[in-house]
Amino acid sequence: MATDSSAPSTADSLSAADRGLTLHHITVRFGGLLALDDVSLRVPPGRTVGIIGPNGAGKTTLFNVICGFVVPQSGTIALDGRPFRPRPHQLTGRGIARTLQGVGQFNGMTVLENVLVGARSRKAEEEAWAALERCGVAEHAAALPASLPYAKRKRVELARALAAKPRILMLDEPAGGLDADEIRWLATLIQEADCTVLLVEHHMDLVMSVCDEILVLDFGKPIALGPPAEIRTDPKVAEAYLGAAA
Amino acid sequence: MDRFLFLTFDGLSRGAVYAAFALALVLIWRATRIVNFAQGAMAVATAYVGYSVADATGSYWLGFAVAVLAGLLLGAGVERVVMRFVDHSSPLNGVVVALGLVLIIQGVLGMIYGNEFRPAEAPFSRDAFNIGGVALLSRYDVFVFAAVGAVVVLLTLLFTRTPTGLRMRAAAFAPDVSRLLGVPVGGMLTLGWALAAAVGSLAGMLVIPTELGLHPTAMDVLFISAFTAAVLGGLDSPIGAVIGGLIVGLVLSYISGYLGATVAPMAVLALLVVVLLGRPDGLFARSKARTA
Repeated sequence: MATDSSAPSTADSLSAADRGLTLHHITVRFGGLLALDDVSLRVPPGRTVGIIGPNGAGKTTLFNVICGFVVPQSGTIALDGRPFRPRPHQLTGRGIARTLQGVGQFNGMTVLENVLVGARSRKAEEEAWAALERCGVAEHAAALPASLPYAKRKRVELARALAAKPRILMLDEPAGGLDADEIRWLATLIQEADCTVLLVEHHMDLVMSVCDEILVLDFGKPIALGPPAEIRTDPKVAEAYLGAAA
Repeated sequence: MDRFLFLTFDGLSRGAVYAAFALALVLIWRATRIVNFAQGAMAVATAYVGYSVADATGSYWLGFAVAVLAGLLLGAGVERVVMRFVDHSSPLNGVVVALGLVLIIQGVLGMIYGNEFRPAEAPFSRDAFNIGGVALLSRYDVFVFAAVGAVVVLLTLLFTRTPTGLRMRAAAFAPDVSRLLGVPVGGMLTLGWALAAAVGSLAGMLVIPTELGLHPTAMDVLFISAFTAAVLGGLDSPIGAVIGGLIVGLVLSYISGYLGATVAPMAVLALLVVVLLGRPDGLFARSKARTA
């Protein structure tokens, strides 16, 4: 894992360096506010990459860029070396699924129907049930999400993302509002995920325990990138973020 | 008692049409939070098309099918060409644009077809047949029940048993979340408008032969009754729209039958006021759980 300085290849035969998701020099401004300042990141297949930083650092904005909700002023995004312009409704077609902060569910639809919307293949119902089982909420399939406790609703949202069988799973603060047992369950789910995981999270124990690499943002600027042990001892990170918590 | 039974069946038949029209209003409200005040004018426009085809070909059923198809196309066109570009920051914007559409459609219809009532024949007899010596239903009433029943069943199957229906519901509940799940929200909105307009066209074709005939404003009074039905059932509730339609049909039938037909239009407005004051969210409104 490293910041990427080379342009993405469009060759059909992929080198190892091309595989996965690559962000090149992403810059986003909201009026006079520089939300992301020249952020580059390469996420190889199968890795779990955390994105951390204080509130307002640009973590969710970076997710929104990858999803196409925010169009950057400059920079490119590539999947397997091929640049693409992200559009939200094409995301699952590219093998990318995302959960939202809080719980973004269709409250007038049952849990099973919620997950079915996320399933993509002809075996949609089978995949939906498998995802519900995996997340431990199959018994609530006929319930409305609003009738479930918050932690169960978070699991439903995870199931919906997993039902899409993503290559890349983007989790936006999945531990928010969960207790210690739920966070342990979530850590296991992430560690056992058979896909790339991008994780935006404030819960440091979770991030440090599941991530292979961590990108640290501060006021939209990348200030560190490396394995958890390195990030833990990086003085810039301590000053910007961890120091305040230590 | 005979009179009561007759008025009951007549009210249910009329209420079935209100139900179909209210259903069309609910479909669009759920998807866009717009009360489509142009629904009546759109239905009249497609009825003119349908009866023109029926006159030209001599086939009522071909005209009927063309009217419903025209509704599909008109609904899709109105969404893609007009409503998609409305600034939804204020709910008033959609209402004003819909009212503008009413004026445009009625003006164009007046220019093309004139402002006189044109006869519109029913495909079946409207004479009630006797059951046990009591005049209850006409063949046309049976046709109305069957047509509206088929629409309700088909829509129910669409929304509960098909991936497209599931995505239409998802797009209506939470557009941004739906997009993330690969739902083409714009396409679902177009489809929703098309279906709603087609159902409105069907309601128009069913009710116009029972009124004075074709006229650019022929659906104005029906729109008020159907709107009352939709509000009574809850604008968010398709089943509420159906039940609300039947209730409004019954109430108007009893009032027309026992107090006189001239009282009925005022009774609709009075019922609307009572519902808005007493239960503005309707009888079957869900709890506040619609946002994602």
